[in-house]
Amino acid sequence: MADGVFLALAVLTIGSAIAALEMRSLIYGSIALMGSLGGVAGFFFLLDAPFVALFQLAVYVGSIAVLILFTVMLVRRELIFRKVEDKRRRMAGIGLLLVFMVAVGAVVISSGIHDMETDSPPVDFRDIGADFLIYYWPALVVMALILSGAVTGALVLARREDGPD
Amino acid sequence: MSVIAPNFRLSSFIRSILDNLFWIIVLVTLAGIPAVQIVLFYIEMPVIDGELLTPFLALTWLADPSRVLPIVKALMATDFFRIAVFPGFGLAALLAAGTIFVERKMLAKLQLRVGPFYCGKVEGILQLAGDGLKLISKEIIIPAKADKPIFWLAPVAFVGTAAAFVSLIPVAPGGWVVADVELGVLAVFAVIGFFPIITVLSAWSANSKFPFIGGIRALHQMISFEIPLILSLLGVVMLAGTLNLTGIVESQGSFPWIVFLPVGAVVFFICILAELERIPFDLPEAESEIVAGWLTEFSGMMYGLVQLGTYLKLYAFAAIFTVMFLAGWHGPMIVPPFPEEIITDGIVLGPVTATIPGLPLFDQAMLNGTIWFVLKTVAVIFFILLPRGVFPRIRIDMLLSLGWYKLIGLSFINIFIALGLLYAGVLGPGGVI
Repeated sequence: MADGVFLALAVLTIGSAIAALEMRSLIYGSIALMGSLGGVAGFFFLLDAPFVALFQLAVYVGSIAVLILFTVMLVRRELIFRKVEDKRRRMAGIGLLLVFMVAVGAVVISSGIHDMETDSPPVDFRDIGADFLIYYWPALVVMALILSGAVTGALVLARREDGPD
Repeated sequence: MSVIAPNFRLSSFIRSILDNLFWIIVLVTLAGIPAVQIVLFYIEMPVIDGELLTPFLALTWLADPSRVLPIVKALMATDFFRIAVFPGFGLAALLAAGTIFVERKMLAKLQLRVGPFYCGKVEGILQLAGDGLKLISKEIIIPAKADKPIFWLAPVAFVGTAAAFVSLIPVAPGGWVVADVELGVLAVFAVIGFFPIITVLSAWSANSKFPFIGGIRALHQMISFEIPLILSLLGVVMLAGTLNLTGIVESQGSFPWIVFLPVGAVVFFICILAELERIPFDLPEAESEIVAGWLTEFSGMMYGLVQLGTYLKLYAFAAIFTVMFLAGWHGPMIVPPFPEEIITDGIVLGPVTATIPGLPLFDQAMLNGTIWFVLKTVAVIFFILLPRGVFPRIRIDMLLSLGWYKLIGLSFINIFIALGLLYAGVLGPGGVI
């Protein structure tokens, strides 16, 4: 059962990722990207991490993909992209991808990931939250500072001089 | 007499009814009963009272009214019943239908009009059925340059998302919820996130000016009001100490959270209005500026589906408000207990005594909970409908500044109130109350 679901999710994720790159229509491409992100959410569900999965759905599919969709709808493709495509570029892209995937795969295989217990109970998200606040608090503070810096920067960039106060 | 059918003759009317009866009997005998037998043969039957329910037994029991109840109970325990009838689609669709009618009638009364009047003789109560028939029988017109797959898919996806939202709501104690998700509040956020996508995709796919303007407005509005919506619920989550919606209802046994978190409740209510595109936030549908907004190009049953989805969503948001702030199903016990003597002695009618096994069908707490839940939800729906009769539409810059400045600020105040109550040891897990 879980294997079938895993295979279906893998096909969905990889297939829609390829579709997101290869589609000629930008809108369909971003819909395919949504499918890919949703497939990743499905993997999180399979890995007993519903907390991450629901955030993946709410943030990536619900917000980021919408922003991409919105941006894509407001631009004309012909104005920003010029079609540059030949066989050599395509082969080089595929080759680069293969090299990258082999490298990542080698790193993963040589790491300790295959020694992990697969039947261990899922980590409770409350424990993760407690760890974040107690043990990893400097990382949390740095993240918060970076995020608030980003928000402030965005506000400064978006500020209008001529608008009503 | 009747203007609709001037050549009406009673004899031909009766003859048509008899004709229909004849064909019904022929079809049921030739096709219906064999089909029922085949279905009963192939589906897996439940075991009732240690006895496998064979088709033969089922038909015998169905003919015996005193033995139908176990079958009904077995049906009610199935997932299908939950999804299709009680806490799921049936209840939601019933409330949504009631909402549409009450909205039209109440707005008319508020504005000194008559409202639906002719359908069904009595104050137009069959108006909704008439509208549904009209929508079903209308032709579906798709704009020539529309993006057809997305345009077809959008109404269905809209209703599907609204139904997924409805399935998360706990209605009565004892597990009367379609999907009891451990992280219910997060699931609500995840489901809400799909509405702007569907809206903007359907608006884009119509390839027409007005839907696109409406869709962009809807996107702005929904995205910017999602943030205070999520933040205003965090206070409740902190105090309840759980993300499970059933757990949140159970944590309000003595007090509903609106007593302690009125700021959050107000912010959440305003966000509901904006998410539902109700007046005064109905810019995406602004019918006096952009025809019907993102719904302009929908016709026939596609429009009907979007409307159904909208009202399902309205019910779901009202129910979430009830669950989060108004203590869900909690309320004084108003349902009388089931009379014991019917269970022990049976019903005595003169010389006849009928003992019916399987009574009572619903327990007292569940009935009481359902009544309170529906009453509260209907009250919230009433307050959602009310502004439509009173307020004008606001400008989009006012809407955005309301969403981004005031509501987010207020929801942070709400979070600080909740944190204060939590750390003072008044409420929350291990609190005084």
